[in-house]
Amino acid sequence: MQLVKNLYNYRELLKSNVKKEIRGKYKGSFLGVLWSFVNPLLQVAVYAIVFPYIMRVQTDNYLIYLIIGIIPWTFFTTVINQGMITVRMNAGIIKKVYFPREILPISVALSGLINFLISCIIIVLFCLFGGVGITWHIIFLPLIALLQFILTLGIVFALSAINIYIKDTEYLVTFLINMLFYATPILYEASLFPEKIRFILYLNPMTQVIDAYRNIFLYHQMPDLMGIVYLVLIAVILFFLGLLIFRKLEKGFAEEV
Amino acid sequence: MSAKKDYAIKVSHVTKKFKIYYDKANTLKERLVFWKSKNKNEERTVLEDINLEIKKGETVALIGTNGSGKSTLLKLMTKIIYPTKGRITTVGKLTSLLELGAGFHDDFTGRENIYFNASIFGLTKSEIDAKVDDIIAFSELEEFIDNPVRTYSSGMYMRLAFSVAINVNAEILLIDEILAVGDQHFQDKCFKKLEELKNSDKTIVIVSHSLDSIRKLCNRAIWIKDGHVKMDGEASSVIDKYLEECK
Repeated sequence: MQLVKNLYNYRELLKSNVKKEIRGKYKGSFLGVLWSFVNPLLQVAVYAIVFPYIMRVQTDNYLIYLIIGIIPWTFFTTVINQGMITVRMNAGIIKKVYFPREILPISVALSGLINFLISCIIIVLFCLFGGVGITWHIIFLPLIALLQFILTLGIVFALSAINIYIKDTEYLVTFLINMLFYATPILYEASLFPEKIRFILYLNPMTQVIDAYRNIFLYHQMPDLMGIVYLVLIAVILFFLGLLIFRKLEKGFAEEV
Repeated sequence: MSAKKDYAIKVSHVTKKFKIYYDKANTLKERLVFWKSKNKNEERTVLEDINLEIKKGETVALIGTNGSGKSTLLKLMTKIIYPTKGRITTVGKLTSLLELGAGFHDDFTGRENIYFNASIFGLTKSEIDAKVDDIIAFSELEEFIDNPVRTYSSGMYMRLAFSVAINVNAEILLIDEILAVGDQHFQDKCFKKLEELKNSDKTIVIVSHSLDSIRKLCNRAIWIKDGHVKMDGEASSVIDKYLEECK
């Protein structure tokens, strides 16, 4: 609860930090913030060309299927990649001023969440004009986004702190994320795998997340209840574990960075 | 929580050791390869078993030669670093001025930086709104306040930073070696402001080598030598003793 109190007291810092994260990333480029929306779209364009025509994937509404996979995935990886280095990037102020250090990873995750929610407009547009349409099921969007946020924040808490002590974390995680991309049904359908081993795919929480988004946007059905329960469990465990690691390591930040 | 606390800062049995790495193992490979030869680094004890109690409303100076550990003690009080042993308790909102302009962004204007800097000290937007005019007036930078701070001279930069820190209304103010801010006129102004704060119920801890200012400003001085409290008492007498030994 200390965390909530701290965040409330330092809400102005949190706010300006989130703004800085959103604006700062593409600072100086011509399109600016727009890049955070154009980037995933360009990525979608690549896969939408490569997979149906070269790899002969035959999924209905493949373009929309892809977009609903890629946009949440971008949210996940951007937050991890930026969050991992956020403590190190802010070494200057960490050494000189006291403030609740948790603000740093939280601002990265929050800015990612805001970006994602805006990007959802793209998903909605594609659904509307791609012939899929939109149903009331999208009221589940905030819940799923929140779960993804908590999950990612937990991972970022741990990684940003560990990265101060072991610099390899960055490179290792970049590789792992890359692998995880193919272990998540983003480009392909989970049904490609035989039933017996499919559950392995579903142990990956990101599979559950993306599955839930697809259910509400594309298939117009309720998210899978067991999936959501599993996700809540994993998200809460990762969040508190990450926070614990962060708390344990933050005392040394000023000396180690 | 029973008795009313009359101290602002309490330092009990604090020991701080720093690890001195000759070759810091920062990567996984180095950690794995050298994990047994941990004795490569040595520990240096900067502060040893320090006990202090600073009362509310006191203005205290920490004096001592370079490397005696006084800045480390100040950093410990701000919770930027943590003691190896012992604990430090502070009561009330705390602002530190370890380095002026920490957290300033060169591309942002003076005004934006006021907001940013004050928010690091834990102020909310409406609190800053209420103070921003005072801060600008105190810094005497009215005509430059909407320019990016990278266009400022170092003196102007310092003036802005000092104005923010001194106007955030903290109950405890920790200052490291910055009494020499700006030109003579601004220095006098800062000094006057500090005296004003001293006469209110603020607690101030200053690390400084300008002994004359300390003598005028502080009512208590703590002399730190080689990580121990060598002398603690009325400012003038401690400074006299200190000067005697420095000769």
